[in-house]
Amino acid sequence: MLDTASRTDAAWPRSRLRRPGRRTLIRAGVIAALFLFALLALPQLLSLYYVDAMTQVAVYSVVTLGLGVLVGRVGLVSLGQAAVLAIGAWVAARLLFATTQPYPLVLLEAGVITMVLGTLIGLPALRLRGLYLALITLMLAGAITVVLTTTNFPNGGHGFLGYNGSTVHIPAIRRPSIAASDPAYYRYAVVVAALMFLLVLLHIRTRPGRAWAAIRQSESAALAAGINTTLYKLWAFALASFVTGVAGGVLAGAVHYLYSINFPTQDSITLLAVVLMGGAYSLWGAIIAALLLQLLPAVLNNWGVSADWLTILFGIGVLQVLTTAPRGLADQVPKDLSRLGRLLRRRLRRPAQAGGDPA
Amino acid sequence: MTEHRAVEVEDLTVRFGGVTSLDGMSVTFDAGTCGLIGPNGAGKTTFFNVLSGFVRPASGTVRAFGDDLLAMVHFRRARWGVRRTFQTEQAIEELPVFDNVAMVHEHARLSGASRRRDVLDAITFVGLGADPPARVDTLTAGQRRLLEVARAVVGRPKLVLLDEPAAGLPDEETAHLGEVIRAIPGHTGALVILVDHDMSLVSACCETTAVLDFGKLIASGPTAEVLRDEQVTRAYLGTAEVS
Amino acid sequence: MPSWADFQPFIVSGLALGGVYALSGVGLVVLYRATGVVYLAFGAVGAMGALIAWSLINANVPDWIGWLVCVLFGGAVTLAYGMVFGPPLARRDPLVKAVATLGLTLVLFGVMDLLWTSSGGASRAITLPTDNSGFTIGQIQVTWTQVIGLAAGVVITVVTAAFLRYTKLGTAMRALANDREITATLGVPVRRVEAAAWLGCGLLGGVAGLLLADLVALDATTLTFLVISSLAAALIARLRSIVVTFVAAMAIGLIHDLLTPIQALSNYRDMTPFVLAAVALLAVSRHRVIPGSREEA
Repeated sequence: MLDTASRTDAAWPRSRLRRPGRRTLIRAGVIAALFLFALLALPQLLSLYYVDAMTQVAVYSVVTLGLGVLVGRVGLVSLGQAAVLAIGAWVAARLLFATTQPYPLVLLEAGVITMVLGTLIGLPALRLRGLYLALITLMLAGAITVVLTTTNFPNGGHGFLGYNGSTVHIPAIRRPSIAASDPAYYRYAVVVAALMFLLVLLHIRTRPGRAWAAIRQSESAALAAGINTTLYKLWAFALASFVTGVAGGVLAGAVHYLYSINFPTQDSITLLAVVLMGGAYSLWGAIIAALLLQLLPAVLNNWGVSADWLTILFGIGVLQVLTTAPRGLADQVPKDLSRLGRLLRRRLRRPAQAGGDPA
Repeated sequence: MTEHRAVEVEDLTVRFGGVTSLDGMSVTFDAGTCGLIGPNGAGKTTFFNVLSGFVRPASGTVRAFGDDLLAMVHFRRARWGVRRTFQTEQAIEELPVFDNVAMVHEHARLSGASRRRDVLDAITFVGLGADPPARVDTLTAGQRRLLEVARAVVGRPKLVLLDEPAAGLPDEETAHLGEVIRAIPGHTGALVILVDHDMSLVSACCETTAVLDFGKLIASGPTAEVLRDEQVTRAYLGTAEVS
Repeated sequence: MPSWADFQPFIVSGLALGGVYALSGVGLVVLYRATGVVYLAFGAVGAMGALIAWSLINANVPDWIGWLVCVLFGGAVTLAYGMVFGPPLARRDPLVKAVATLGLTLVLFGVMDLLWTSSGGASRAITLPTDNSGFTIGQIQVTWTQVIGLAAGVVITVVTAAFLRYTKLGTAMRALANDREITATLGVPVRRVEAAAWLGCGLLGGVAGLLLADLVALDATTLTFLVISSLAAALIARLRSIVVTFVAAMAIGLIHDLLTPIQALSNYRDMTPFVLAAVALLAVSRHRVIPGSREEA
């Protein structure tokens, strides 16, 4: 046995275990290319109307990313992410009006404050399992929505709430000086979104990601393996809240004016719907979800078709995903959209396959 | 303080609502590999759940290697050295073989420097027969069970709890598993408690065996004697063969 | 601090509202116990039923037919959903089943917004003949509609409790709640019992929709999300006890309306069901030790 052990040891040095496969490198290249295209070329190709829509896509892709981590990676369903986004937007707006801090700092602060709030709320909630956790997030989100309706979003007023109910001329929420125009702000949003995606990717590839995978598989097995499940679940909540808070900050600058009716309770439900449809597990799914949520309505509106059809579509989508997914909400098996993507990739790769990594 | 390799259970009682799953269980496990058998519902998994920290007993103590096990928070017990497999195997699909085992090592707070070596050692020890970067969904059922065992023996385990590790495996794979289990105490210094219904596996691996029936301990001692005990046979009447 | 006289009218409206929440909550609990589904689309079916009734009444269809259609619509849609999506999801986690009903909610929501666009100015209303007749208790005016609201809650609670305990169908539902598989092996017609539960819950949804449309507002969003108040009551009862659901629902309705005259809190009174439910959920979870794996869910 000693002989076999040392043979294995020699056969698998650290470098061999950690080497990124060829497939990973190709994928990274494709992603980089797409990112550059979205950043540089896209705003030139689209009308201002669609640039605006794509800015919203960038913002919401971060929100769906956060929800995707919770649902797809850890197996926690939150029905309150729209409220978290509202909090992030609120904090950012307040800071932007009250201070002259540079934009990146404001975004960071919005993210951190939202993260702290999200974690505080998550702390007691995490004792609950599955259904009850989802319901309590719904309840908390509802409560926050009510508060927001009453306190309103900051609009340049004074006091803690920064809301002046009687001003006639409401100042616009400012944008960073380098990104004042819509196309420029779109690029800003894309860069911020990319950074958030990188942050999440970093988590997934390292210890928290592995712990989440274990927790999703079976919480008792994870505990038995020594994983502090409460800590890692909180970490997921904190991460999701942070990125969503930052997204809220970007949203504030994008729309210039925030109103509580822009954050209805139903948004949290449609958020979950598109995340499920896009595929909760993969990071691509987050982008697809954001496209469904923000680009499609813009397209439909342009064609004079009511966005209500999308609401109906999302409802059907939820039912379809849940009835066909064999292993529950946090399922790895790709849904129709990403299944299509895989099929295409396989087709494209077949001529190039020459004894490379197993598909 | 010398660590005496033993698990001393005293007067352990667990109640769920109106049901008493464990009733004043008192036994000492001090052989290298100990068996724990009993008909379905006898309380074996409940006992493991107490050891894992998922269930709080109504009364009783458990001392393992001289330490009060019940005083530790559940996820810290792995750090102390408790390892466990479950009736339904829990290999993490999305991670490769290496990471599945490395995770246990990582969360047991063992040194990162020795991690690669310890993980490879565990994989070789169980005779997994798959490459470390292999994906779990490429493994056979038998290999997945062995992966579970690898996760249970990596690093420096003190107490290895195996809950029906051979369930659903064909005879030759069960035999191989039996050899691995028998070698665990020698290789790692740990104490193994094996729960299984396969009596040939239990008699092949375990020096001593305890028997539970309706939460009560009805026999304990050298495996061969226990399996011949009348009370044990009676408890098992109506279930699968007692070889 | 407002005076006793200020509170009085809100006690009445609170009781009426609580009564409707109670009958909704009971419907939710019974369905959950029979099928494991938290029917989050409960409010949406009631809302759409009420809108349909409104349209019919506006088109000069006799009022009572409109109301009947509303109730039957609730029953029909719910039954259809239960029969189509119940079986494929039957073995799944309650979370999955609940999220699926959110899918139905979205579909209904979209349809409602499509067919009955939120017309900026003119608001719709449902009026029942009992709105204008009533009586007075001391200083307080009480309409018959409010009495119906409260009475419906009480009656449904009592009837359902009795039904579950004393009838064959009710006992079968309780057995289902315990274990679907074993119940099936005992020869209980599981599908039929479940269908009865879905239908009953749906009918209650229609009734609740109608009453809430009258007592609160005929607005898709408002009515759809009023389910949360009833859900809160059901959660306080841990989705088990009909009686606790009733008490909790009455409490929610009362507290909500009683906050109206209190200046400092009035704007936040809509938080009542959310806060109470959150507190209830947290209180329930205090004793958990076993994390449980997915199989044990």
